[in-house]
Amino acid sequence: MTTLSENGKIDIAFTLNGQPVSRATTTSRTLSDLLRDDMDLKGTRVACGRTVCGACSVLVDGFPRAACSTFAFEVEGRSVTTIEGLEAEDGTLDPVQAAFAKKSAFQCGYCTSGMILLARALLAEHQRPDRETIREWISSNICRCTGYQLIIEAVEEAAETMAGKEAAE
Amino acid sequence: MNDQAPLRVIGAEIERSDAHVKVTGRARYSYDAARPGMLHAKVLRSTRAHAKVLRVDASAARAMPGVHAVLTGVDLADVPMPVYGYFIKDQPILATDRVRYEGDMVAAVAAETEGQANAALARIVVEYEDLPALPDMEAALAEDAPELFEEAPIGIVPPYGAGSSGALRPRRNVCYSYAYETGDPSVFDECDHVFEDEFRFSRMHHLHLEPFVCLAHWKEGDEIELTTSCQNPFPLRKEIARIFRVPESRIAVHVPFVGGGFGSKNNCKTEPIALMLSRRTGRPVRFCLTMEEGFLTNTQHAAILRLKTGVMADGTLVARQSHVLLDSGAYSDASPLVAEKAGYRVAGPYRYKHISSVCDCVMTNQPPAGPFRGFGGTQATWASDSQIDMIARRLGIDPMEMRMKNLVDLHEPWVPGESGVDSDMREGLDLVAREVGYDRPREANRGVGLSIGFKDGGGVNKPAQARVKVSTNGDVHLMCGTVEIGQGARTALSQVVAEVMDCPLARVEYLPLDTRYTPFDQGTNASSGISVMGQAVERAARSVRQQVLQMAAEELGTEPDKLRLDNWTVIHGNESHALAPMIMGRYGGTGFEFTGDGFHKQPNDHHAPLETKSVFWEIGWAGVDLSVDPETGQVFIHKLVVSGDAGRAIHKLVCRGQDEGAALMGLGQALYERMIHDGTRLVNGEALMYRVPLAEDLPEVFEAITQEQGHGPGPFGAKGMGEGAMLPVASAVANAIEEAVGVRLTELPLTPERVLSALVEAGKA
Ligand code: FES
Ligand code: FES
Repeated sequence: MTTLSENGKIDIAFTLNGQPVSRATTTSRTLSDLLRDDMDLKGTRVACGRTVCGACSVLVDGFPRAACSTFAFEVEGRSVTTIEGLEAEDGTLDPVQAAFAKKSAFQCGYCTSGMILLARALLAEHQRPDRETIREWISSNICRCTGYQLIIEAVEEAAETMAGKEAAE
Repeated sequence: MNDQAPLRVIGAEIERSDAHVKVTGRARYSYDAARPGMLHAKVLRSTRAHAKVLRVDASAARAMPGVHAVLTGVDLADVPMPVYGYFIKDQPILATDRVRYEGDMVAAVAAETEGQANAALARIVVEYEDLPALPDMEAALAEDAPELFEEAPIGIVPPYGAGSSGALRPRRNVCYSYAYETGDPSVFDECDHVFEDEFRFSRMHHLHLEPFVCLAHWKEGDEIELTTSCQNPFPLRKEIARIFRVPESRIAVHVPFVGGGFGSKNNCKTEPIALMLSRRTGRPVRFCLTMEEGFLTNTQHAAILRLKTGVMADGTLVARQSHVLLDSGAYSDASPLVAEKAGYRVAGPYRYKHISSVCDCVMTNQPPAGPFRGFGGTQATWASDSQIDMIARRLGIDPMEMRMKNLVDLHEPWVPGESGVDSDMREGLDLVAREVGYDRPREANRGVGLSIGFKDGGGVNKPAQARVKVSTNGDVHLMCGTVEIGQGARTALSQVVAEVMDCPLARVEYLPLDTRYTPFDQGTNASSGISVMGQAVERAARSVRQQVLQMAAEELGTEPDKLRLDNWTVIHGNESHALAPMIMGRYGGTGFEFTGDGFHKQPNDHHAPLETKSVFWEIGWAGVDLSVDPETGQVFIHKLVVSGDAGRAIHKLVCRGQDEGAALMGLGQALYERMIHDGTRLVNGEALMYRVPLAEDLPEVFEAITQEQGHGPGPFGAKGMGEGAMLPVASAVANAIEEAVGVRLTELPLTPERVLSALVEAGKA
């Protein structure tokens, strides 16, 4: 339940990287500010601030959202995943993270958190995406450094790893 | 390592050393820097392109909630030298009596939040008196144009060598002119043909994702602490010391990871204002520009290039004269340096008997243009290698054959006094021609174009120092000033150290950059990381290695050359000795750190046109296979092949990524990416309207081939990368369009509208 007071203050409760959290915030607070400045989760990057570049992508109920342009109160009751939530307890990297590391699918790294989360959402939707599908999905975020090829290859590699794991289970 | 042993770390398939922090979100950028009590700065920008500032009334802003300080032009009175710029100090920290472009900074506020700072800015009243605006170079060069600077700003012309010269303010609204000449112009008389062509080059914005941002703290006792997203912390420190008259030893510039720069993050950007506000308030001040403000802060140079090239009937090039105009915008920034490079490089990779080149920096009422990946070489290659193709076709010679005939040979000095070219350029051209299918028969409206981009690399007069130290238990510290901006410098330079020290890459720690403790470096630019800093780093590591072996030899009663290292043990024949106990034994229980320094700088040489010979030559080869739809003018790229020569690839995926990133940026420039102005107003200065390449824009097939020709001056034969593959893409595309549909476009970008109107004009649509 959100409770709104007159001065724009608001209490919100949501699931963050699998843990329930609640926070007092304001109605004008963006999700990226809430995460970065109030919760010190600085892995969510902000670049354009206008829903264009996707650097700030986080997953809300599994779907990529631009945290820079999402109000904090919009995630009330939902489940938010940030880059900090992808590693296992023991520090094992998620297959997408591991593939990005292995393929050097980053340079400056500023788009990387968003790209990895975007790729996670893509792989949840399509287990074995073809190149065209990967291209289409990845096109919602800007990477100014890599030329995208290595990112696409990393997503393919992650899909393979994940498929392999599933087959083994 | 010993010289016969195979390399273990260089060229190995290993993860970049910044992989883990970047894929987990742990990497920290200047954007993330924060301090308790920090204030936020914002600036008011001019709404006029060119105007006198009659009055700035900030009284209402000062009374706004959360506001701690407001600065306007009058506050510059307490700054000893409140202007900056590379060769010419013409950009004021804040506009005083005049604004020179829409977006010029007029006032600054520090407040508790960015919101409060913006609210306060809205209350500042500025009274302007408009002056005639100069939206482009034609307007600025007109007889009756007003001077953008009534008085000449302070500036210098650097020392040049044989054939080069520079001049400050040679004429109206030209802040700098560079000229180069070699050989006798009378050879034009021997030529069978002389061709004159003009080319136009549109301007891009870098669109680095991490904004221009710094956190400045002017502490008590005039001690300055600055964390900033910047490519050249040491020159920045020098500028700040000069502006505020503070000793360099009291300035600490920290540079964490940088989220992209592509040239833009050189020299002062946000720092002087943040420092003034911090001094005023005694609080740390964060100053972060929005992406929209980024567009108004630094851009590439738009250019007009006129070439006159003399040639024999068989395609042998004889002479080239050129005149390049660069639109420098309102302030000189790095324009003189870019002019030097554009002017120098415009002859391209070919042999001439005579070259004469002039490049002028024209001041206009546009955002200041500065360094951009390729640094004048992109403009130069666009014109140069388009014209070579045009000439070949006019003479009925195959353009590839014409290039092959005229390319400077491996090891041949590019021009008199220069270093020898350190790549076999024919080999590279052959490679991309084969890969792109140059010889294959083609369908209608389909064409293949080739091009070669060529630039001197490693910077002019650029020194680099490095230090390596090893703790008693073998942990290696690397200290050097190369900024990790995405190019993989931390990895590659650490690999060099690991290779020399015979230890795993994970044992080498690249220490955080702090100008107080990090050895001096001129900046992360000019593809100098491996070619210049790499040499300094290798020397530092070799010095440490030698000291360690010397010590071990004395302890073991042998000679250093009988020993080798292996992950902090020393191997002597069949014996292996752990080094830590040996060091403890020798130096006493607390241990000892071996420390080595390395330095590199090309020697000064007055016979070299730019005063030092080029450290290396950065060459980018491109081949494009495309179709043109004659109904719409739409260009469809079937295949783009680019190649660079890494000399030796220290890290293969890093090299590949550099070339792919550069080539895609070049493809954007070729086809659509540009800043669009309506007069002096930028109309697409934000992420949504400014089109950059996305994954969906990738060519059907996109290949970057890393050559390792082995002739580089860097460690293990390496040379610099990262700019080369951007250079030849636009010209290769234009060359392919001509082959496909027989029309020649000489103005970038090569939009469908332009292709179509060229087709209509030629009666081919
Ligand atoms: S920062 Fe949110 S979309 Fe660009
Ligand atoms: S790695 Fe720099 S923007 Fe993608």
